[in-house]
Amino acid sequence: MTAATDTVGVLGDGALVPAVRAALDGVAVGVPAAIVVPAVPQPAPLAALTDERLATDVGDALDAVLAHVQHALDRLHGGGRLVFVLPHAPLMAATGCAAASAVTNGVLSMARTLAIELARDAVTVNVIALDAADPAVPALTGVLAGLLGPGGEAVTGQETYLTAGTDLGRLRP
Amino acid sequence: MKRPLALVTGGAGGIGRGICARLAADGATVVLADLDPAATEDAARELGVHPLVLDVADPVSRRAAIARCDALGGVDVLVNCAGVLRDARIRMLDPAAFRRLTEINLLGPLALTRLAAAGMAQRGRGSVVNLASRAWLGTFGSTAYSTAKGGLVGATRSLALELGRAGITVNAIAPGFVATPMTDGLPPEVRRRSIDAIPVGRAGEPEDVAGAVAYLATATYVTGQVLVVCGGRSIGDPYAA
Repeated sequence: MTAATDTVGVLGDGALVPAVRAALDGVAVGVPAAIVVPAVPQPAPLAALTDERLATDVGDALDAVLAHVQHALDRLHGGGRLVFVLPHAPLMAATGCAAASAVTNGVLSMARTLAIELARDAVTVNVIALDAADPAVPALTGVLAGLLGPGGEAVTGQETYLTAGTDLGRLRP
Repeated sequence: MKRPLALVTGGAGGIGRGICARLAADGATVVLADLDPAATEDAARELGVHPLVLDVADPVSRRAAIARCDALGGVDVLVNCAGVLRDARIRMLDPAAFRRLTEINLLGPLALTRLAAAGMAQRGRGSVVNLASRAWLGTFGSTAYSTAKGGLVGATRSLALELGRAGITVNAIAPGFVATPMTDGLPPEVRRRSIDAIPVGRAGEPEDVAGAVAYLATATYVTGQVLVVCGGRSIGDPYAA
């Protein structure tokens, strides 16, 4: 076992990168792993989502995620763990967040497909949702320890919302 | 009272044609929009609806489509049905192909929604029905397609919150295996296995999806939902151990 900060690649420019790095300080990891933290567009009403803005905010953001995943998989030949960390609000849906919801839910579906596709390569794929305004770092440490540590190979295709139940009663995507 | 005008993208395809036929039968003025001029003309003539050549990935073409519909009274129902399915496993997926699929299956529908929603908001009513896919839940070898369809589902949910006060509903349909010229071309063994895994024991028909579209187009108290039209396949395979 080694410290996670030495063995886990954190990829992406999302606002949750500092929370992920802080959480990894308390995690011991025994397998190759990568955590993708996508950049997500700022809120904007539909009327402001011009063709150019859709291309950059949504298209370029998803392109970047694909590049990060393909890069990560180069490290995960022979097995490993892939985790996506997403902001909870646009993932669940929020007014004025169509672009951000397109990106986060696109990544969610990508993760679901990758979990199916990469299972035979011994790569697990999971999603963690956090409140971007107040990320639950200790909870994130606990979940990452489970996903990246011993026994984590049994957990794939799962979505964990670390939001203290603030979305209870809402349909998840 | 004016008949509602429905713009159906991908209207010349298997599912799109079924949607156009159903909405026309229900009394809508239908604009059947598709990429291929000859196929668009043929399908529209057969159904007795308005043809419109539209490339959903082209901003100029999108604006022209909405202008044409505005000349007919404005879009009341937008059905984003156009889409492509060309995909690969993640390690072989070409980034340019990923982007192209995103433009057609996700960015185009969102841009059309923005254009159509402006008129809907002015009139205080409208509905948007986005054709997603059961692949939104994940499907082997379909990274680009499932990403785009998942993105469309996510945008659907947020747009439902944003546009509800304007009298506009936004919903999605997630079809499973549907018998169309595209799926007719699958190898027989693949096709048989796919159908065997469907709880109701048959492939979907375009009319199954069209019925769901017709419902969502008129259901003013239903918004932000994903209606999975898959014969129960999203619940499981009845013969799986």
